[in-house]
Amino acid sequence: MVKIVIDGKDYEVPAGANLVDAAKNAAGNDIPVFCYHPKMEPVGMCRMCIVELGMEEIDRETKQPVLDDKGQPKVRWMPKLQTACTQKVTPGMHVRTATKLVEDARQNVIEFLLTSHPLDCPICDKGGECPLQNLTMAHGPGGSRMVFNDKLKLDKHVPLGDLIYLDEERCIQCARCVRFQDEIVGDDVLAFHERGRSLQIITNSDPGFDTYFSGNTTDICPVGALTTADFRFGARPWELTEVPSICPHDAAGSNISLSTRLDRDAGGKAVIKRVMPRQNEYVNEIWISDKTRFGHHFTRSEDRLLHPMLRRGDTLAPTTWKDVFARVAGDLKAAGSDVAVIAGGAITNEDLWELKQLAAGLGSERLGTWTPTYGGADLVAKVGVGKGTNLKDLGKGDAVLVIASDLEEEVPMWRLRLKQAQDRGAYLVVANARHTRLEDFATQKERNGKPVSGATIRYNVGEAAHVMHELKTRYPEIAEKLAGATNLVIVAGAEGLTLDGSKALMQAAANFLISSGHVGKANNGLMSPLPGANGMGLHYMGFTPENTQHIMANPPKVLIVAQAEPGEDDPTAAAWLSKVETVITLSLFPDKTTHYATYALPIQSFAERDGTFVNGERRVQRFYTAQGPMGEALPAWKIVAGMREALGQAKPKVSAAAVMLEISNKVPAFAGCTYKDLAKVEKQFPDVGGADLYYGGTAYDNKGGLGVQIATSADAGETPAVADVTLPAVPKAKDGELLLLPTTRLYNRSHVFKPSVLVHPRVLLPYVELNEADAHKLGVQPGDVVEIAFGDDTVRVRAGINGTPAGVAVLPRELADKATPFLPTSGTIKKVTEPVLA
Amino acid sequence: MAIINNDKYTQRINWHLSKYPDKRSAVMPLLYIAQEEYGWVSPEGINEVAQLCDMDPTQVKSIAGFYTMYSEKPKGKYWLQVCNDLACALRGADEFHHDLLHHLGIEEGGTTDDGLFTVEHVMCLAACDKAPMLQCNFHFMENLDMAKMKAWIEEKRAELEKENS
Repeated sequence: MVKIVIDGKDYEVPAGANLVDAAKNAAGNDIPVFCYHPKMEPVGMCRMCIVELGMEEIDRETKQPVLDDKGQPKVRWMPKLQTACTQKVTPGMHVRTATKLVEDARQNVIEFLLTSHPLDCPICDKGGECPLQNLTMAHGPGGSRMVFNDKLKLDKHVPLGDLIYLDEERCIQCARCVRFQDEIVGDDVLAFHERGRSLQIITNSDPGFDTYFSGNTTDICPVGALTTADFRFGARPWELTEVPSICPHDAAGSNISLSTRLDRDAGGKAVIKRVMPRQNEYVNEIWISDKTRFGHHFTRSEDRLLHPMLRRGDTLAPTTWKDVFARVAGDLKAAGSDVAVIAGGAITNEDLWELKQLAAGLGSERLGTWTPTYGGADLVAKVGVGKGTNLKDLGKGDAVLVIASDLEEEVPMWRLRLKQAQDRGAYLVVANARHTRLEDFATQKERNGKPVSGATIRYNVGEAAHVMHELKTRYPEIAEKLAGATNLVIVAGAEGLTLDGSKALMQAAANFLISSGHVGKANNGLMSPLPGANGMGLHYMGFTPENTQHIMANPPKVLIVAQAEPGEDDPTAAAWLSKVETVITLSLFPDKTTHYATYALPIQSFAERDGTFVNGERRVQRFYTAQGPMGEALPAWKIVAGMREALGQAKPKVSAAAVMLEISNKVPAFAGCTYKDLAKVEKQFPDVGGADLYYGGTAYDNKGGLGVQIATSADAGETPAVADVTLPAVPKAKDGELLLLPTTRLYNRSHVFKPSVLVHPRVLLPYVELNEADAHKLGVQPGDVVEIAFGDDTVRVRAGINGTPAGVAVLPRELADKATPFLPTSGTIKKVTEPVLA
Repeated sequence: MAIINNDKYTQRINWHLSKYPDKRSAVMPLLYIAQEEYGWVSPEGINEVAQLCDMDPTQVKSIAGFYTMYSEKPKGKYWLQVCNDLACALRGADEFHHDLLHHLGIEEGGTTDDGLFTVEHVMCLAACDKAPMLQCNFHFMENLDMAKMKAWIEEKRAELEKENS
């Protein structure tokens, strides 16, 4: 800590802190800024933060401060004003922020900015939450000196990509967006062009401003220059009601705020107008991915299932909930204990608890996860990242290994934060069977003028567990660096692996962490990009992929499919689903699974109800009700509770909060996770969302709760033991066939993303990626339509050639209009001539 | 047209790239090569330079936009930049600039129909003592008058005709 003097008062501030941050934190003194952002390097471009700066005069001989007549240290003031954002605090620093000189300077800067600003606040999306508006009110001149109408007239509608529009007139050239893309995301697709009054933000990349984080630039833009295609002219900020929520799409569990408004187009009901980041420095800081931001449209999709449906012959007919509960209870009683549940990753803990209770009451423990691809969630519970982990704390001396996962596509928020960990000095190792985006960062030696360190490992498809298990012998240098790191995080996915392979990989990764002592403490341990927002919740509630495999092999009499889409995901679904006597689906949409359903029951989406998810770092997080239900849909837990009541098991709980209270009492992992505990907040840095939103941007401050991180058993003091790894057979293609490698694309054609129409241009056409030699052998050119045969099924997609390993064809899931394999599968590819794809 | 895999430039490109520890440092000399090949910094040129320097095309365009000696608009074969700052103007550069435009029948910044000449005025070129002067494709032509210019223009036009026939 060092002592500085701000406006005549002494303050203790951390040594080396930025002066703007220090003044704000220690003195509550809001030095106004436009270009400075606490998450980025200062550049001193806007000149708004200028202050008077002085240093205490030091006697060169005695090294003591020179004192004046009154015994006070003599201060040497710099002759000109200095930008506070580029100053680091030093002992004896004196700052004046409220003198006439400073006030005049601030007023002049604002006046200068306004000479090129259109002042079209009445029609501007940012109006009402605009730093330029706020700072003009606080520091600007009261009137205009523009006698003539000689302001610059520029283009007000420049699409920088499909999602973000630039208004050239409004831009004040602070470069926050440029620096965000460059420093934080690492995709430098925005830049300045020309200079002086002609300076503009441009993109010259192909495709334009197309990163998974582009929406964040609109939050940190201090004016209305960047707006999203989604919210543009959609509502005024002061009309919006903010509802704290959690991103339902991936394992990061990004905290979001759903901005809702009573809307004419929705019959006067509340609808989501936009999704904004909600600050949680442990999880997503103040950023969210574009899928989180633009992927909310499914909640109001017209395709939603609206009424409880009952099968009558070949069709489903609407019925009443009462009828459903009575009939289902009859079917369940008749089935005895031959009942099973398969639940998807986007389902809440409350739903899972009721499902588990229902099955338990019937004497069944057959609880499966969908998709049954990711093993080792139990190891995340044992040696996962320790309590108090914050990926933001990883830096110099630390290391990260990402293996068998394409994080950019699976959990973009983790990829963003791990890339930044590397920026801060962490050693980043990326191991995969093919090229991924994160690999680009791991191979770089230098970024933004600073050295970065990393390494990459390529292995044959399916050999991830082998590589992890034998890391010390196969890659001794890398293994040594990882083992010797102060903190080590391993992110282990399941790409190219069978379930056994995934389990072996997780065990091998856990063994590595245990033997190098990187468990049971914060910022150390294992993470897994489990599909859906509640992959770890599934584990804690006793749902496993092994059970799913068993259910698929031995179909039960009654199967409840809860927010899972085996019909959409599994090419072999027909074979096993049709053997089940009674399929009960709880789903948002009528889909290919409801084809097999006797009862197709509509559930409420995350926006229509409250509930909790457990993210990949085992943080239990709560979301709140934002809009009314669609049709007769109910929260899944209520539907199951209705069934339980009809069975005479228990009376339904009155609320999700009551269900969670029961969970926190009965499930040890959730002890201390009542809704009240989950709603606790603490002060976070940087400040966002308040009256000072010029400082951190328009992300919302967290009023809904930071959540509670579940302790691992290693955290709890249990000594984890290294266990044997059974290396499974590597998936191989049959003779003369190719190995189809399923991968994940962030933007896909799943039911929860398809309704986000504005992102459609960015969703790739169904494709398969081939090796050049394989393509040559098959006579396939890029862009050709090919038919892929696997098992008894075929799918037609477009071919691309992109350096995949020989003998392997990358076939992303959820892009084609029918199910493609979710595990590596042998298949054949042939060129077809007739054009069959839209 | 291309600068990559073009024997004319390979040696120079490699030399520029070899001068710096980091490829991106060579972006400015390579942009000149692109301008030489295409007559201006064309989108193709920007993409090629981006590829050579391992940079995003957006960053290359940003650099091309910042410096005035890169032209982001197509130019004639001879890019004539006439200085008419104060010192030159005192020696009749203003009039010379005007007469030159009139003789070629183009507006300031325009290009003749035959694609030979582009004329624009620029700030000081540091040759005040030899005004009126201009810079033709970055080479100085000094102590000019319209008679000299007309002769030079005819010469270039004749060269073009000879090439075409």
